[in-house]
Amino acid sequence: MNRLFGNRTAIAFLVLPGVAIMVFALIVPIGFSFYFSLTDWAGFGAFNPVGAANYKEILTADPVFWRSLVNALILMAVTIFIQNPVAFALAALLAHISQKASQIFRSIFFVPAVLSVVVITKLWVNIFNPTYGILNKLLRLAGLKSLAVSWLSNPHTALGSVIWIIIWQGFGWALLFYYTGLMTVPKEIEEAAVVDGASWPQTYTRIILPYMFPVISSVIVIDVISSLKQMEMIYLSTDGGPGQLTQFIAVYLYQKAFVASQYGYGNALSILFVVVAVGITVLVQRLFRSEGEIQ
Amino acid sequence: MNALTKTPLFDRSAGKRFGKFALYAFLVVFAILQVFPLLWVFDYSIQKTGDLFGPELIKLPLVPVWHNYARAWVDGKILRYFINSSIVVVSSVLISTVVSFCLAYATTRMVWKLRTLAAGFIGLGMVIPIHTTLLPNFIWFNVFGLINTHVGLIIPYIAFTLSFNTLLFAGQLKTLPRSMEESAFLDGARYPKILASVIAPMAAPAIVTVLVMTFLTNWNEFIMANTYLSTDDLRTLPFSIIRFQGQYSSDYAVQFACMTLVALPPLVLYFFFSRWIMSGATAGAVKG
Repeated sequence: MNRLFGNRTAIAFLVLPGVAIMVFALIVPIGFSFYFSLTDWAGFGAFNPVGAANYKEILTADPVFWRSLVNALILMAVTIFIQNPVAFALAALLAHISQKASQIFRSIFFVPAVLSVVVITKLWVNIFNPTYGILNKLLRLAGLKSLAVSWLSNPHTALGSVIWIIIWQGFGWALLFYYTGLMTVPKEIEEAAVVDGASWPQTYTRIILPYMFPVISSVIVIDVISSLKQMEMIYLSTDGGPGQLTQFIAVYLYQKAFVASQYGYGNALSILFVVVAVGITVLVQRLFRSEGEIQ
Repeated sequence: MNALTKTPLFDRSAGKRFGKFALYAFLVVFAILQVFPLLWVFDYSIQKTGDLFGPELIKLPLVPVWHNYARAWVDGKILRYFINSSIVVVSSVLISTVVSFCLAYATTRMVWKLRTLAAGFIGLGMVIPIHTTLLPNFIWFNVFGLINTHVGLIIPYIAFTLSFNTLLFAGQLKTLPRSMEESAFLDGARYPKILASVIAPMAAPAIVTVLVMTFLTNWNEFIMANTYLSTDDLRTLPFSIIRFQGQYSSDYAVQFACMTLVALPPLVLYFFFSRWIMSGATAGAVKG
């Protein structure tokens, strides 16, 4: 059957269109980006090669770049240590109620995940609005007038508010992943633990969590990548402000190229972004693979 | 049996019932938190803008003002943008589905030297952020006159959905027995026919999931559309909301009506296909 499964013409016809599209829309652009990152082009007019000057400036003299990486790290931490455990707990509860009720709840929890980021972001921009937003109305009603701030432009609350929007939309995904993962745990393992006299916290920490390790690590890898990639929600809510406090790297490179007319510099940020994204993904995956082997 | 034992206050079944009640109450609170913002926006989309500024926490639409929707429809150019979104999304979804099906087939079932390398290359699409192609594509696509055209949006919409779709198809194609193709081959069928009439029907569940997931992803995409399209009449649906911010920045009720209209198509799709969306969404994390 070599003629069938090793048919070269068939393989070429099947693989080349996809590879061509990816090369055209993904690989060549990154090549272009690298080329422009070595120039001082404004995006129009003439330009000069500047060597690695843009990279040098980003890494040594651009606090906004580092700030945007720190923000991504904060988002990762909040996602992994707050959103994920809550989602896991809720998934565990859903696994113990009737199929029908669990299905209804899961469908509701996932609603935000199917909506456009524009709708999601504008929803929350309005809820956070200091004058008519329901959040501040609620706070004033509760006599907490001093807490009723301008959430998205106050330096103390802006980052937290943006992170809330992101976490809120991502919640349905986390819940869905964990619920599906929990469904793969064989009932016998859980029952055997109960028969042996294990309490439910013991069952979870000793039996179910270790069994779920591959799912948990996949979700964490996804969280890490998506925290780095955040852009639209920030762009549409705070646009990196106030004073770059909510800056994320994808928003920053966009502003540099299209607002500040530093196209070359923006491309250098873009290339560093690819390096960071690929680097961290490989690192996190390695980390979990070796730990999985120890288990 | 006396009355006392009939209604015990602290026996196990009462405790269980209370636990169950608490559990459901907890779940309901979370459910409200997840849909409340939508309901809030819908609530004020059928009232006068002034009502939003009233002193009450939530005002119910006792006299619905549906006129807001008429204005949102016309001034938000909903119909024009809806048609544009449909053109871009339907074509990118169909092509992405076919192309990723082929990629998944070749990388899971066929035998060739560069197979692992090719699979790794396809996986790159999930690691490389879309945003890193925004700046260079603005120049690179312009070389072909693709900037500010629907084709210029369709191509990256295909490219960025290929990786996930291939992974999803691969999961399903791996499980099929090889004798499927062998018997069709011995009957004289050739590759296009084997794929279309033997393999595709067996992968039907994955095909539905890929179609729906890709549709949602591309339908909701904003930043590439925002970057590559500059002519107002070419833009896609999310722009209705953006339009209102500039033109009617103080007319919140119409803005809210517009947001509701834009949210509606994915919600309708989700209502009918939630099973497929949910099974597809987890394919990557749980299997991979």
